[in-house]
Amino acid sequence: MTNAMALNYTLVITGAPWTSQAPQSALNFAKALLSAGHRIDRVFLYGDGVHLASALATPPSDEQHWPALWVELLQEQLIPATACIASALRRGIIDEAEQARYQLAASNLLPPFEVAGLGDWVESNSHSDRVIYFHGTS
Amino acid sequence: MPDSTDTPKTLHILNKAPDHSRFALCLAAQADGDTLLLIEDAVIALLDQQISLPMGTHALQADAQARGVGSTAEKHVDYAGFVALTEEHTRIINW
Amino acid sequence: MNTLIVIDRAPYGSWAGREGLDMAFSLAAFDQPVSLLLTGAGVHWAKRDQDATAIGQKTVAKNLSAAGLFGVESLQVDATSCERFGLTKEQLIAGCTLVESSQATLKQFDRVVFAN
Repeated sequence: MTNAMALNYTLVITGAPWTSQAPQSALNFAKALLSAGHRIDRVFLYGDGVHLASALATPPSDEQHWPALWVELLQEQLIPATACIASALRRGIIDEAEQARYQLAASNLLPPFEVAGLGDWVESNSHSDRVIYFHGTS
Repeated sequence: MPDSTDTPKTLHILNKAPDHSRFALCLAAQADGDTLLLIEDAVIALLDQQISLPMGTHALQADAQARGVGSTAEKHVDYAGFVALTEEHTRIINW
Repeated sequence: MNTLIVIDRAPYGSWAGREGLDMAFSLAAFDQPVSLLLTGAGVHWAKRDQDATAIGQKTVAKNLSAAGLFGVESLQVDATSCERFGLTKEQLIAGCTLVESSQATLKQFDRVVFAN
């Protein structure tokens, strides 16, 4: 769908899955954005939101798998998605480069999520028409 | 820095339950012409006898339905309506 | 784009304030105008009298004191919240501006951001 008034959005998720509703609300919002013809520049995970990028989350089979549902959308729409590296390292969300650097036992970053600094968020603030945050409720 | 009288009409997106300290902070920040959208736990405020919401407060339909908050005078919007509100407002605060 | 990062959570019990501070420092590092507002329980960030060694954390006032050095334009502290906790201007770290109304401060910024 094309939209003459199409806007560029950045979505920032700061609430973790299974701790908050943030990843779910953000996913529904993202789908509605794309249906309306808007573009998503980037999804940025910050604070507890980085848990969405864990490849090890294993909910019971009769529950929605929020990381997997997000991956599906990111891959389908080729949306860049980054987890803040400082938030991620503290919370044990590790890509292969950080695993090697810190000589850790494993890596668990779920592709296509990547880790990057807050600079990505700063850039989004400058370039996106809208930045929408999905926070936890604590 | 713009003068406060020049602040554009603001969309306030609130996801906290009424007990959360940020709920009161958000309500106090409402200015004439602003729009308040309640999502997630904030929708239960529609049933809260102790809270007076601004006229024309919106609530996200899916979250209201999930919590058994039925139709009220307030406007329920779906996710497309949520998107439309973010199109219309250049200034948005996520509380 | 003038951004206000708001810290409304008490220090130490959650990481939210530290992550708000990181956001402010990052904007400043990229030469984006940014200020901080401490309100509600967040005013405890600015107290001089803090020592977090016994809980194994870094004292947040130290991080906060560096805000000006890192290019954060102003550090605003809600006066009503200070009153509530019995905090006087003298008990706050250097560089704080007491503001009578958080609401008026919010209106002065293009973007108002919480870290959590």
